[in-house]
Amino acid sequence: DSHVQYERVGADVTMKCGSMDWDAAVTWTANGTDIDESHLNGSYLILKNVDLTHSGQYSCYEGSSWHLKYQTYLGVGTPPKEPVLMCRSNNYPKGFYCSWHLPTPTYIPNFFNISVIHGMREMVCEKDIFPKNRCHIKYLQLFSTVKYKVTLTVTNALGKNSTTLTFDEFAIVKPDPPESVVAKPVPNNPRRLEVSWQNPSSWPDPESFPLKFFLRYRPLILDQWQHVELSDGTSHTITDAYAGKEYIIQVAAKDNDIGTWSDWSVAVHATPWTEEPKHLTTEAQVTETTSASTSSFMPPPTTKICDKGAVVGSGAVAVCWTAGLVLAAYGVLFI
Amino acid sequence: MAAADSPSAALRRRDLCSRGIRLAGKMRSDVVDLLDTYVKRQGLDASASVAAVEGVPAAAVERWDEQTGTQRLLENLAAYRAFRVLLAQMLEEHREQLGEADAALGQALASVLLQVSAFAYHLEELLRLESRGPPSEEGAPAAPAPHLGLFERKLRGLGVLRELAQWAVRSARDLRQLAKANPGSGSAPSRAESP
Repeated sequence: DSHVQYERVGADVTMKCGSMDWDAAVTWTANGTDIDESHLNGSYLILKNVDLTHSGQYSCYEGSSWHLKYQTYLGVGTPPKEPVLMCRSNNYPKGFYCSWHLPTPTYIPNFFNISVIHGMREMVCEKDIFPKNRCHIKYLQLFSTVKYKVTLTVTNALGKNSTTLTFDEFAIVKPDPPESVVAKPVPNNPRRLEVSWQNPSSWPDPESFPLKFFLRYRPLILDQWQHVELSDGTSHTITDAYAGKEYIIQVAAKDNDIGTWSDWSVAVHATPWTEEPKHLTTEAQVTETTSASTSSFMPPPTTKICDKGAVVGSGAVAVCWTAGLVLAAYGVLFI
Repeated sequence: MAAADSPSAALRRRDLCSRGIRLAGKMRSDVVDLLDTYVKRQGLDASASVAAVEGVPAAAVERWDEQTGTQRLLENLAAYRAFRVLLAQMLEEHREQLGEADAALGQALASVLLQVSAFAYHLEELLRLESRGPPSEEGAPAAPAPHLGLFERKLRGLGVLRELAQWAVRSARDLRQLAKANPGSGSAPSRAESP
């Protein structure tokens, strides 16, 4: 029979060799490696002040016959600290989800139990398959002033801990960021950029629960953002862009009436339309132009989508390295 | 009167819904400000839990997306008629308690009362368009305010305003559902679309 035991970091652990007498001759192994006799007290294995490296499979064999008499897996870990719990509705009015994690690992298996109470009613939070530290709840009532109380308890062999969140139905509403953000130059308009986007696909009914949007934009060469709040529609024309400068643009969404703003969307880049420089016809002018590398180079003023992985959190900026090359070329032409 | 499903009725309904949504939005914004002022002036804790207050229509509803347009209008109208009475009582109590000492709170209460009355009238208009007409208000006088101590009255007031704030959000949603529904579908559920 194989056993499992869990012990705290820093504890002293004594393992008995099954039903063997104290004075029986035995050999202990840890993960297949013999353990020195200095760790034995008779047939008992003594491990003092255990740490994570002591975790593993321990086996005890009878002296001369090498019969396996006892086997156990030792897991060294810690009791759980207070878990971190978050609840959010990104698909209002269908429901909300709660997700959790431990601030520090315990190194041994943990079990999570979540309870959701609304007034006198206990609601079922259905666990998601992936990610596994998440569950979701369907709203049974809307527009309630009664708060929700969510309690998460985490238990392992060495202890338990819990945390409770209490919130209003409206307070946790936070849509996902807008999707498919596109920014395009407007032909023959050197100061305009046309931006369009779509409602997040997770928002189930934008017609009855319309979203409003917040757009921010800035030229790459400046740090200051411009902001525009839009109460309807999923497009906007920027009319004060600096001619020829590449812009970075992001959009966020919020339910028209309740909740908080989404995170910023994936950043998109665009440069306003610029007039084509005129062709130079003399040989000298061609030579001069070629050495300056400007007249023949016209970067396409198209949307450039930056690596989403470069966007971290709501305040970050994604930078495309190719944008730097474009700006450098424009720098030679215009500065 | 135009038939409920005539083009002019449909246009009128849409117009009333749009204006109603804007009214509800403004009302909610003012109620939220009033709540803030009320909590401060009455020395209450903003996060205090208030048990369900007797006589205050609860905005909470189950199966909201399955309600018919007429159900929505009738429930809204009953609620705002009740709030009209409750706010009038609060205003009266405020005047008795403080007289002119807190004019700002009194004015804010009066302003919200006016908006509640206007919204109730708006709902009556929408119901007339449904060829139903609004139910008459009960002939009996409104129930007198319960005899409560000063602190209980303050908590009751908090409960009234909180519930009104919820109703203002619900009403905007209800009117959007109504505007989305086809003309003449007053007896059919106005279902929210889901992906």
